[in-house]
Amino acid sequence: MNYAMVKQLILKDWYLQRWAILASLAGVVATLGIIATGGKVAFLIGLILLIMVIISIGAHMTVSTIVTERKEQTLPFVMSLPISYREYTASKIWGNLLIFLVPWLTMLLGSLGMLLWSPSSRGLVPYAAIMSTEILLSTCLILAVALITESQGWAVAAIMVGNLAVNGIGYVVAHIPGIAKGMWGPTIQWSGAASAVLLAEFILIVLLLGATFLVQARKKDFL
Amino acid sequence: MNDLSVHFEGVSKIYPHFTLDDLNLELPAGTIMGLIGANGAGKSTTIRILMGLVHQDRGRVHVLGREMPREQAAAKLDIGFVSEDMRLYGSATLAWHMKFIRSIYPQWDQPYAETLLRRFDLKPQQKIKGLSHGQRVKAALLLALARRPRLLVLDEPTTGLDPVARQEVLGELMAVLADEDRTILFSSHNTLDVEQISDQIAFIDRGRIIASDNKEIFLDRWRRLRLVLSQEAELPSLPGVVEVGGSGRLPVLVTNRFDPAMVSACNDAGATVQAVDPMTLEEIFVANVHSRREKQTV
Repeated sequence: MNYAMVKQLILKDWYLQRWAILASLAGVVATLGIIATGGKVAFLIGLILLIMVIISIGAHMTVSTIVTERKEQTLPFVMSLPISYREYTASKIWGNLLIFLVPWLTMLLGSLGMLLWSPSSRGLVPYAAIMSTEILLSTCLILAVALITESQGWAVAAIMVGNLAVNGIGYVVAHIPGIAKGMWGPTIQWSGAASAVLLAEFILIVLLLGATFLVQARKKDFL
Repeated sequence: MNDLSVHFEGVSKIYPHFTLDDLNLELPAGTIMGLIGANGAGKSTTIRILMGLVHQDRGRVHVLGREMPREQAAAKLDIGFVSEDMRLYGSATLAWHMKFIRSIYPQWDQPYAETLLRRFDLKPQQKIKGLSHGQRVKAALLLALARRPRLLVLDEPTTGLDPVARQEVLGELMAVLADEDRTILFSSHNTLDVEQISDQIAFIDRGRIIASDNKEIFLDRWRRLRLVLSQEAELPSLPGVVEVGGSGRLPVLVTNRFDPAMVSACNDAGATVQAVDPMTLEEIFVANVHSRREKQTV
């Protein structure tokens, strides 16, 4: 693996997406600001906006850096560089994850900070951590599908599945007894169920990205 | 192997509706080869295999002594590639693209890049999306040339250009190539473009290389003979006849092994040679393709 080339390709995507990264960061900070105003309505609107912004960023970055690269025919330019498809895949996975981690970590740290700041909502910390990781998992799913299929149609389908999964998993997790029990309490109750769900999410992320590398390595036609 | 920049040995690639079949191709270092074929003949597939972007199902490919596709990253360090379907990033400037390529290729030649900027009349601060198609092709050529590649691969770079832009690009390319001793593979369905640039020619049709030789040999050996047969004379048997046209007493023969002695041989056989016409590369290509296709159907 030529790590210097991977780094150059990541820097390229960061440069080309610099305005989108800044806009996403501004969006996350603004929605956290709305939540921080304290009212119930503001909390609800801010939370919905925050989730929307984060999911949109992941989807936008993946589509812009992978699907659009093929659609706008800049992929032959990239693949004419001294790289193999391994380096290309690595740069797209790491580049997109790093880009996404900027607003995602801002969201995670911001929301956890606010929950810890307010004594009455500390019980929500495990749920917030699980749901934040679920959004990361959904983004990895979109990333994997976009890389493997290089198709806008499949990427859109993955975005829809990822969106539905956030809602569905959010509902299911909120009703797991070990998690639901202390969710609305003033203290953090880090149950075995919460840890298991979080661990499962991280395992799925690793499996998804590992499978993407494997499938990409077996590809015979790249253009 | 060392003096061959490109070496294809029995290369095949099978798609559901197209097969690149048992391709053998040698490109010696320092030569400019034109790969001519109709649309869908297999030119782009050949070049994609050469670049390691498509893996062959059978056969061996060596580019600059590197085995493809396994060593594609190392090989591509010495290859400049421009293709008709290649685009640069529209939202970035040419200057950014130059900086990006310079960061990757240690042999990037900045003074030469600046010379090319002037020669191509390009503004480095202009965004790619603001350039005309001709300017974009020139920008891509600049990025490929200034990295000082040992092998330059041009896949239909003039396709889609209007006649003025095409001549500009070809003119600039020829001027640039005159300075250098490079190995170049230039693919096109436009024989005029290839004729201007290349010294070696390979014809490809339906996934097969049907002829490959020096351009001058092609132009010297291929002739169209216009004959007039006397009443009792038969059509003389001449070497290398690939096409017989005309009518009755006025046959027109196309040969790929022309020799001035043929004229006297015809006269001896009772056929008067009215004209011996040289053929353009396009006519040679078309005659070659027709002849091969007829053989295939027989």
